[in-house]
Amino acid sequence: MTKAGIDLQLGFETALQNLGLGAGAAHALWMPLPMLLLIIAATLGVMVMTWLERKISAAAQQRIGPNMAGPQGVLIPIADGIKLLTKEDVLPILADPVLFTLGPILVFLPVFLCYLVVPFGQNLLISNIAIGVFFLIATSSVQPIGLLMSGYGSNNKYSLLGGLRAAAQSISYELPLALSVLAVVLMSNGLDTVGIVEQQSGLGILSWNVWRQPIGFVIFLISALAETERIPFDLPEAEEELVAGYQTEYSGMKFALFYLGSYANLLLASLIAAVLYLGGWSFVVPVETIAALAGIPLDNPFLQIGAAALGIVMTMVKAFIFIFLAILLRWTLPRVRIDQLLDLGWKFLLPVSFVNLLLTAALKLAFPTFFGG
Amino acid sequence: MSFLKRVKEYVGDAFRAAKYIGQGMGVVFDHMGRRPVTVQYPFEKLIPSERFRGRIHFEFDKCIACEICVRVCPIDLPVVDWAYNPELKKKELYSYSIDFGVCIFCANCVEFCPTNCLSVTEDYELATYDRHDLNYHQVAMGRLPSKVTEDPMVTPLREFAYLPKGVIDPHDLPAGSQRAGKRPEEILAEMRAAKAAKEKEAKAAVE
Repeated sequence: MTKAGIDLQLGFETALQNLGLGAGAAHALWMPLPMLLLIIAATLGVMVMTWLERKISAAAQQRIGPNMAGPQGVLIPIADGIKLLTKEDVLPILADPVLFTLGPILVFLPVFLCYLVVPFGQNLLISNIAIGVFFLIATSSVQPIGLLMSGYGSNNKYSLLGGLRAAAQSISYELPLALSVLAVVLMSNGLDTVGIVEQQSGLGILSWNVWRQPIGFVIFLISALAETERIPFDLPEAEEELVAGYQTEYSGMKFALFYLGSYANLLLASLIAAVLYLGGWSFVVPVETIAALAGIPLDNPFLQIGAAALGIVMTMVKAFIFIFLAILLRWTLPRVRIDQLLDLGWKFLLPVSFVNLLLTAALKLAFPTFFGG
Repeated sequence: MSFLKRVKEYVGDAFRAAKYIGQGMGVVFDHMGRRPVTVQYPFEKLIPSERFRGRIHFEFDKCIACEICVRVCPIDLPVVDWAYNPELKKKELYSYSIDFGVCIFCANCVEFCPTNCLSVTEDYELATYDRHDLNYHQVAMGRLPSKVTEDPMVTPLREFAYLPKGVIDPHDLPAGSQRAGKRPEEILAEMRAAKAAKEKEAKAAVE
């Protein structure tokens, strides 16, 4: 299991070295490729999500949704993007120009940094760092600072209230999120995302973490919804009370950064949910078992390409199940009040996630074979 | 023990909340499978009901320039330009106009017109780029209304009250399906039959 699957990096670098390049130069040439690919993939994912959001919302309300821009309105995200790109970038007269500009960037950047550790396959991730999950939580904690900056820098009472709410919400839901992730980490004896997936891939669907961490899974989903500021928890941008919260004064590309950031954040949360609880790239039945049954050796190149493709598809399918749930929840639940939000976070999710963590630790000591020894 | 009881209640509350959220999501999910009732406007249009009050139609030759329409109009809107013709010993109408940018489509003028030269149509697409274009003179008001059912570019759809009993979607109705309740001509025929029967009875009683 150490180096199963295709290693594109190794292949690319050896090919370049065979052409006569140094190891360092080959690595430098390789490095931008996956980053570019991931940025494009994340942006494409966001576009698909905005389209899905419109279509599913329309279906839930028995409307048709976008249907004129391209077949089934698939060109709507492109039209959206072009519109936002060509719009005037307004800076309010009494706004703080530095904070106002820095805010959206600080909201947007951490999300894309977090994609560094999201695995789509054995070697299909940018960097398999040993502190992967910790990196995720730490990086996404930078976001509230950006939200607060944009809220404060806009010189608008709605923006300020929205920014404060966003910061309060992000900070209070970070704890249950981190604690539920910690329980998973406890079971897989490591913080790296690849290790967490591999630990779940032994028996296919049966060994996924959902079965061993049902409470943690629910806590993770609720806190992730709150972290991404989606509807039952969209207080920071509650349009009925705060116009658009911290986004009120933004237009053009800066608003697009918020927009992109929020959807990329939802996609990221879904991907992490898939990685931590739904077995990441692993298929319902392990690919190794299928290969053994069909009598194909594991180092067959076609099998490896097929397995890699299946891994990417499985990760996306699992992530999009969560996205679908989030959109469905959007049209089911009303927005909670700020006191209810903090109540849920501090008085319910936090104690329950502590209990879950202790329970996991106890079960790990009692049944090391089932809960990771 | 009271602490444990409170914990039990709390957990029960949480599960109940989860159950209700699940039920709510089930309802929303169920709605996703239903056909949209959207009338896609430029391609599909609702058939206006027979009591629809749209743009006013005007017949120049019937008008006797009595100006009753002006008097009954809540805002005295129709402009009637006439002069007394001593040769004919009659009012001679020169022009007639209504500004549909101001008209409230109450159709009082139609109601009170003694010669029935005014009538309501089912035209409602009056949008223009200039509000002055909404001031219709007698020629513009004399144009025949276009019918939704006769436009080859448009799929006519029935309004909610004209759908069969229990149907809420106007799309793909089976041919010949009738609306709920009796049609006006059926009610009229019934009334006539009842009247005839009564007269017959009265006749029989006299004889």
